[in-house]
Amino acid sequence: MTQETYELYRYLNRSIPRLDSEQKVRGELKYLTDVYPEGMLHGYVLRSTVAHARILEISTEEAERAPGIRAVLTYKDIPGINGYGAIVPEIPVLAYERVRYYGEPLALIAADSMEQAKAAAEMIKVRLEPLPAVLDVDEAMAEKVKIHDKGNVARHTVVKRGDVSKAEAQAHLVLERTYRTPMQKHMFIEPEGGYAYVDGSGVVHVLAGGQSPYRDKLQISRVLGISPEMIRVKNYPTGGAFGGKDDATVQIHLALLAYRTRKPVRLAWTREESGIAGYHRTASKITIRTAVDREGRLLSNSAKIVLDSGAYQSFGPTILDVSIETINGPYRVPSYLIDAYLVYTNNGIASAFRGFGAPESNFAIESMMNELAAELGIDPVEIRLRNILRTGEEGPFGNVIRNSAGLEEALNRARSSGIWRRANGSGWIKEGVGVAVAIKGVGFGTLPDYPSAAVEVIPEGKVRVMFTNPDYGQGVITGIAQLAAERLQIPVSEIEVINADTMHSPDTGSSSASRTTLTAGSAVVQAIDEALSKLRVEAASSFGASSSEVQYSGGRFMYRDRSVTIYELARRLRQKGRSLRFEATFEVPRYPEPVEGTLEVPHMMYMYGVALVRAGVDALLGKVNVKEVEFYADIGNVINPSIASGQVEGGVVQGLGYATIEEYRYSDDGRPLNINFTTYVVPTARDSPEMYVEFVKSYDELGPYGAKGVGEIGIIPVGAALAEAVYRATGKRIRDLPITPWKLV
Amino acid sequence: MKVTININGKDYSADVEPRMTLVDFIRDVAGLKGTHVGCETGHCGACSVLIDGRPVKSCLMLAVQANGKRITTIEGIGKDGGPNEVQMALSSSKALQCAFCSTGFVVVGTWALEENGELTEDVIKESFIGNVCRCTGYEPIIKALRGVRKND
Repeated sequence: MTQETYELYRYLNRSIPRLDSEQKVRGELKYLTDVYPEGMLHGYVLRSTVAHARILEISTEEAERAPGIRAVLTYKDIPGINGYGAIVPEIPVLAYERVRYYGEPLALIAADSMEQAKAAAEMIKVRLEPLPAVLDVDEAMAEKVKIHDKGNVARHTVVKRGDVSKAEAQAHLVLERTYRTPMQKHMFIEPEGGYAYVDGSGVVHVLAGGQSPYRDKLQISRVLGISPEMIRVKNYPTGGAFGGKDDATVQIHLALLAYRTRKPVRLAWTREESGIAGYHRTASKITIRTAVDREGRLLSNSAKIVLDSGAYQSFGPTILDVSIETINGPYRVPSYLIDAYLVYTNNGIASAFRGFGAPESNFAIESMMNELAAELGIDPVEIRLRNILRTGEEGPFGNVIRNSAGLEEALNRARSSGIWRRANGSGWIKEGVGVAVAIKGVGFGTLPDYPSAAVEVIPEGKVRVMFTNPDYGQGVITGIAQLAAERLQIPVSEIEVINADTMHSPDTGSSSASRTTLTAGSAVVQAIDEALSKLRVEAASSFGASSSEVQYSGGRFMYRDRSVTIYELARRLRQKGRSLRFEATFEVPRYPEPVEGTLEVPHMMYMYGVALVRAGVDALLGKVNVKEVEFYADIGNVINPSIASGQVEGGVVQGLGYATIEEYRYSDDGRPLNINFTTYVVPTARDSPEMYVEFVKSYDELGPYGAKGVGEIGIIPVGAALAEAVYRATGKRIRDLPITPWKLV
Repeated sequence: MKVTININGKDYSADVEPRMTLVDFIRDVAGLKGTHVGCETGHCGACSVLIDGRPVKSCLMLAVQANGKRITTIEGIGKDGGPNEVQMALSSSKALQCAFCSTGFVVVGTWALEENGELTEDVIKESFIGNVCRCTGYEPIIKALRGVRKND
């Protein structure tokens, strides 16, 4: 398939409605927190109300004897390893010896009613010896109080190329700035939750909101000390995730309680519990020093990146990698020196959040580009056009740019946009337009990634497509069904998707890193090819022809004037007792080795975006009002334009929240302060700006039908673009998000 | 306390604790799970239902306060067994993603259409002031509903 066939697709480039939308608007889709299994117990988690402490005692005897109590578990009751974590299994499933954040789980309870569970929790005797809470990364790096015995730096790495001091000596201008971004909460509307049960053959079923069923399964198996084959995980449907359900939330606790009691258990966090114990985005402090020549061409880039990992690592090490990869932008950077730290504090646990380290670094480099442009008197779009890498060039991390033509076109579209002329405030309202570009790798970079998927041809007239990347709203069920329909040349109505269930599907991996289109899409296309090649032989044999003489079109095989449908062939195979299920594994293209000092840099496939933000600032009140956002993106071939642009728009508004009103905060003693929608305010319909999203024409041979990914690109450049708009309106540079009124007046 | 609440035309009676919220009655007693709980503080709007035709956040009301009232939940919304105008508009585009909030948007949108006969941008923004969506960024919802008219 090449770019020339772009216009010829039957089921791609089409905005069909989501396959599950009717169920969703009728309230018929049962989320996993909507299922109350017959005879279920209520799960409850006793949590620490101290941020940092030594555990002296946790006694459960009295609680165990309380009415209606079926189980009270502490770390002593964990059959396997007391640890989990997507990268390093260092997060205690139940606290042991130390408590490192407010909300850390101390004990689990299963009871006949929630009232009984809570009453029993009060009876658990907990004695903690408080330790000073370390909430600031600089304080943590001073190591006066050690959060972990090994020290407070979870990961430190230096990544470099060329001679930065030489480049700076020859530069026309060197700017150094420090930028900060806050912790951000995901605030999905369905808090973390689900249920679990053990079936008659001893298999532990865990059905809970999540993003990575096979990783959940592995993590549960380590903790229960049983084979992964004895565990099933289902994650669909999930009411929003954005990275916050990528690492385990309720899954392991659910499995422990069901495994111990042999009864169905429901465990669903309240909003406040999600606010306290759920994950959040890493806060960042980035000092960046950038050297340019007279024309604004980048000569070198130095950065000290410090990310706040919170009490444990979760995805921290790879988030740091994405921050490193992002700090050079999509630019030609001849020499650089990146000094990067992932630091422990007592601030909850930072984990994946849409963009995964990219919005943090993007705010630094893109704000820097805007400051450089202003200093040099160069148009901010022009300075980027002078620096972006073109196709065939080698990027700063040794990766050859395969298709950045999309970014250049996106920048040209941004330059000629009418938005620049629409900034016209009056009176106390000052208006400005800001620009920023984004780059984000698709998938796991140099880390090996072998997603598998399956298809089954059902003689009754359906093709069942199975993959495990959960659809928590992104629309991947629909997009992958469109890819399957295109490959099979049959209507989407004949495709049936089973999503995110380890009982039905091989391991396609997680929904993360904007990877689902690439991984599930490619694996499904390959599984379909496998199915068609087997069915072709069957068809040929029935025609008395060789398979090379048989044509395939529109769900049927043809030979001379005869034809047979895939469904008829499936019926015949079934009669012969043959399998109708076909699996395939896709090998995600990658560079063989990571750049020295990194775990997964660089990627082979990148998405690009250009954001233009027009904002008004009330000079008296300091209030920022975002009027409109234009977004030009290169996401490869677009499977479903409506769903894809929805991903960008949703990401943009999360980015506007991040840049203006959202900031997850802790008290001086490490207690989270804004843990619900009353205190952690997110954008509402009134805050929604006019939005215009355009995808530039693009096709990436590595992706299925030229598609790349889209989920994360929208959020990434919003902060820097808005900060520039505010600067244009007021002359004030805000270098720490969010841009609150008190920073402007 | 003994309460009887009419939900979607059917009476549900139960002896409940005075502290039970209406949303718990709807989900646990009546077993209607389309009404979702997103916050329990009245901010997210996922639990919106209609009481005597007006939108109410069912997490902020006690079941005993709803005694004798007529309630419409998402399960009771629709037209001739099919989706109504608001449901059609929200399902035919990108106006929903994870959709955990969508049932609340449908309930409030249905009320707004009933009240106004047509959904203008101002009506939409005003009506959904108490409904949070974290996925869509709202504009897709506003665009999908803008211009929807009541057609009996």
